[in-house]
Amino acid sequence: MVRFENVGKVRRNAEGKDAAVLSGISFEARQGEATVIVGPSGGGKSSLIRLINRLDDPTEGRILLDGEELAGIDPLELRRRIGMVQQKPFMFEGTVLHNLQRPFFYRNAPLPAPGSAEVSRALESSRLPAELLDRDARTLSGGEQQRVSLARVLIGRPQVLLLDEPTSALDRPTSDRLAETFRDICRSERLAVVLVTHDLRLSEKVADRLIYLEGGRILEEGAGTAMLLQPRSEEFRRFLEGTEKGEEEERPHG
Amino acid sequence: MDKQDIVPLELIHLAWAYGLILLTVALSRLRGIGQGKQLLWASFRMVVQLIAVGYLLHLVFAVRSPLLVLLMLLTMGAFSLQVMGARIKRKMPHFYRVAGSSILVGCGAVTFYFCLLVVEYTPWYDPRYLIPLAGMIIGNSMNGASLAAERLSSEMHDRREEIETAICLGATGRQASEPAVRTAFRACLIPTMNTMAATGIVALPGMMTGQILSGTEPIIAVRYQIAIMCAITGAVAITSLLLLVQGYRHYFTAAHQLKDVGGSR
Repeated sequence: MVRFENVGKVRRNAEGKDAAVLSGISFEARQGEATVIVGPSGGGKSSLIRLINRLDDPTEGRILLDGEELAGIDPLELRRRIGMVQQKPFMFEGTVLHNLQRPFFYRNAPLPAPGSAEVSRALESSRLPAELLDRDARTLSGGEQQRVSLARVLIGRPQVLLLDEPTSALDRPTSDRLAETFRDICRSERLAVVLVTHDLRLSEKVADRLIYLEGGRILEEGAGTAMLLQPRSEEFRRFLEGTEKGEEEERPHG
Repeated sequence: MDKQDIVPLELIHLAWAYGLILLTVALSRLRGIGQGKQLLWASFRMVVQLIAVGYLLHLVFAVRSPLLVLLMLLTMGAFSLQVMGARIKRKMPHFYRVAGSSILVGCGAVTFYFCLLVVEYTPWYDPRYLIPLAGMIIGNSMNGASLAAERLSSEMHDRREEIETAICLGATGRQASEPAVRTAFRACLIPTMNTMAATGIVALPGMMTGQILSGTEPIIAVRYQIAIMCAITGAVAITSLLLLVQGYRHYFTAAHQLKDVGGSR
């Protein structure tokens, strides 16, 4: 569904020098599958995911959606087909309903009513109770807000769902429950899900396909989560060890 | 009272007036609270600039050539742009082009509207009217546009998350930046609106005071003041609006991507 062909991204840094943030990236995210990209912070994960809905453009290679090059699709149309949930959920002023109506507002379409099929479906898929619709979105908990941003994306019926570190601001139980929701949505809605995270536990719960990204390059790639048990590259092994150690240190406090 | 009755100020009178500045400097020295040098320097600049502009106006008034008057207005506009540029720390992309064209079109249009339809004097380039009126319009618009430009760039910076979320949900750059543009427009109008609300009660405006001092009937002076306040409000609003509607575009690419302008100058 989404195919990267030898994609690279060069960015000018603060000193005015060009630096490659991504290079030689090739992979495919398929329909009904969750492709999870893990790796350390600063490894290029966010830069990569931002290319898919054209928040940014690659400087090399090409990205295809259903065989059509992204650059050839109207960007507004593209962002309707490819939804994105960001790391920190931003809630627009107003109620949860107002937030769900946003995508319709932007395309000057009639706004869906509280009892409409669109709203009910979005609430159900993102496991949001209907009672929250009238609540001020900014007063919700972090987990609830992230579900609102998920529902806000799903209400537009996208083909691809991008998740950029969606649980990094949440506690463990909330994050685990959200992971299940992501997985269910991927299956039931037949979406291509691309999730980037540095959280191994989240990757384990969601991934159909795992990609390890470090230094802007794909170092390992495989189906399922088997590669978590048998890392081939030295970098991935070190990343796994570092993360496990971090989690053990975390446990007594949490 | 006849118009010719105004008391001419001689150099000795100016020296007495300057005495007030010297007194202030002396006081600050005495209490050791600083600012003495800055006060002296600022007052020195004020004196030199005003004397220079006095002679320049004398020349322009004597020659009465439309070309010279227009040149003078353009110079005033250019200076206001330079002042704006120096004042604003975090500039929007293409700042000088955006601000310059907004001042030129906004102030130009309002000034000529005002001179031709409101004051209705002839010839249109009469420097006695055109220059002071344009000066007030440009000066106030410069302040308004500075506020608008400054606020727009800080809003675009602070609202980055909000703007990108909107973009992700299918918004155009215009839709996504609407709250930022709205806030910036409100911010630039506040001083003008405050002045309008306080005029006549808290402060007597400068132009009116000047006219009264030079012998104009207070009723006429008040009419002028009402008219110029309207012109200033219109000019501030139009100039700032032009700046904002041109300005926000430069934060986005053609594909409605928020550019990474950060705190660049």
